[in-house]
Amino acid sequence: MNLALLSLTLPLVGALLLILLRPAGGRWVIMINLASTLAAAGALHQVMQTGTQWLELGGWQAPLAIRFQLSPLAALLLLFTAGLHLLVALYAARSRHAIGGEDFWPLSCLLQAALAALWLSGDLFNLYVTLELLSLAAVALVALAGAKAYRPALNYLLLSLAGSLAYLFGVALLYGRYGVLDIALLSELAEADVTTRLALLLMSLGLMLKAALWPLHLWLPPAHAGAPAAVSALLSALVVKGPLYILWLLWSRIAPVELAQSAGGLFAVAGIFALLCGGWSALRAPYLKTLVAYSTVAQLGYALLALGLLLRWQEPSLSAALWLFVLAHGLAKVSMFLAAGELQYTLGSKRVRALKGASQTMPLALFAFAVAGGSLIGLPPSGGFLAKWLLLQPLFQQPQHWPWAIGVLLGTLASAAYVFRVVALGFDRARPTPASFHPDRLAQWLAMLPALLVWCLALISKPLLLWIGGVSQ
Amino acid sequence: MSTTLFWLAVGALLWLIGLHGLLTLRDALRRIIAINLMGSGVFLVMIALAARVVPSDPVLVALVVTGLVVAVSATALALRLAGSAERGKSS
Repeated sequence: MNLALLSLTLPLVGALLLILLRPAGGRWVIMINLASTLAAAGALHQVMQTGTQWLELGGWQAPLAIRFQLSPLAALLLLFTAGLHLLVALYAARSRHAIGGEDFWPLSCLLQAALAALWLSGDLFNLYVTLELLSLAAVALVALAGAKAYRPALNYLLLSLAGSLAYLFGVALLYGRYGVLDIALLSELAEADVTTRLALLLMSLGLMLKAALWPLHLWLPPAHAGAPAAVSALLSALVVKGPLYILWLLWSRIAPVELAQSAGGLFAVAGIFALLCGGWSALRAPYLKTLVAYSTVAQLGYALLALGLLLRWQEPSLSAALWLFVLAHGLAKVSMFLAAGELQYTLGSKRVRALKGASQTMPLALFAFAVAGGSLIGLPPSGGFLAKWLLLQPLFQQPQHWPWAIGVLLGTLASAAYVFRVVALGFDRARPTPASFHPDRLAQWLAMLPALLVWCLALISKPLLLWIGGVSQ
Repeated sequence: MSTTLFWLAVGALLWLIGLHGLLTLRDALRRIIAINLMGSGVFLVMIALAARVVPSDPVLVALVVTGLVVAVSATALALRLAGSAERGKSS
């Protein structure tokens, strides 16, 4: 538990010091992130041996206490958050254009601290507070892109506040009904009555809005596409996963089984629609970063589908698929956004069309984009493929489940289409867009690093699958 | 009990008015006020639930205080962003 707390407090204290002392941020943040990653890895190692640990803040006992809960899954997500921040910071320290100003450094640390607190929180109200911290930091990061991003940032903030208030309304109703906020205690008490249904509905709608799950995703593309490249990477890879985690906690831990089963079908259908609509919009997007942002909407559809089917069939193995999707998508999306940022900066245009001949002018960045895209499509042997494999296995075992597999297939085709749209344009060498200046090789390699890691996941596939199946129970 | 129900209904109504305003209005300042109405609605519901017992439930009151702090800071950020966005448009 101490190591997990260290992984939370390092970025928090670091952010405050950076704001007060204003040193040149990059080097410090890389060191903070590295230490935080190591601490999270230590925490994961520890929790795998001892099992779930609890910390009662301030020493209060169970019903009144604010509890921190370190489960193996929380530790894994902690490591994932710190690791992705480290990868993004390495790139951002090299490419100053991708961060939109020195204020990026303290804000990214705050974002990491908010996420770490979210994974560790064990009661509903604490989760509300961390959600708000998360969206405030995220909005401030979007606004770094300058005047043209203020409007999407404001829209993001207002919608995200509306989502939080819907969630808070649900929390108030649950507390009024049961008199506890702790998730472990609520899971024993919850019954399928009117108040609980209303509370779960409000909380789910609020969280779906915050996680940009279909059909409440429309704020995401302008906000994620308008932000600086490194910020978009963090937002798409991590920030939308926070509300998703709470949604998972809510329905798999608190909700009574019969409610969860009926809601699961709706979630799964929404997931299929997200895959199709997100994929279609990505295919038609005129700007490169809008394309990548819509691909986030589509990829969240897989997570939603896994969540829905998990609830509908009460099939615990699908939780592993859900979390593996989150990990694989996070790594691939970081790489994709960083490569897109590098491409649009060097080629001097935001349009997809400007990528003509990029395989000649910027082969490394285009390769990073394609490699990340391969994992999003689910080509073997990548992390995305492993997640899809886990999702498809229970679908194939019983003939009446096959229609869902068609949804997954269509989603895969859509993601293949938008990835190949970019890659095919890159290989159209007839009249390539010239680079505005000499491409930065090291930055392109740093953008590729997360994509290579997601393909490395496949090298350890068997132990990984077994292990993640145990972790996400 | 009927007083509790009355205030619960008022809170829910405020929340709905705020939500309606957020979805239909275009002006940034009005939308920020709409969000604050939603917030007030939720806080009113929480206080109504807290006042069911004498003395009132300290947990809910503490939650409202925390919620107010969050709402104030979010509103400050929203106002700053809205102001900058307006200035950027006029210049």
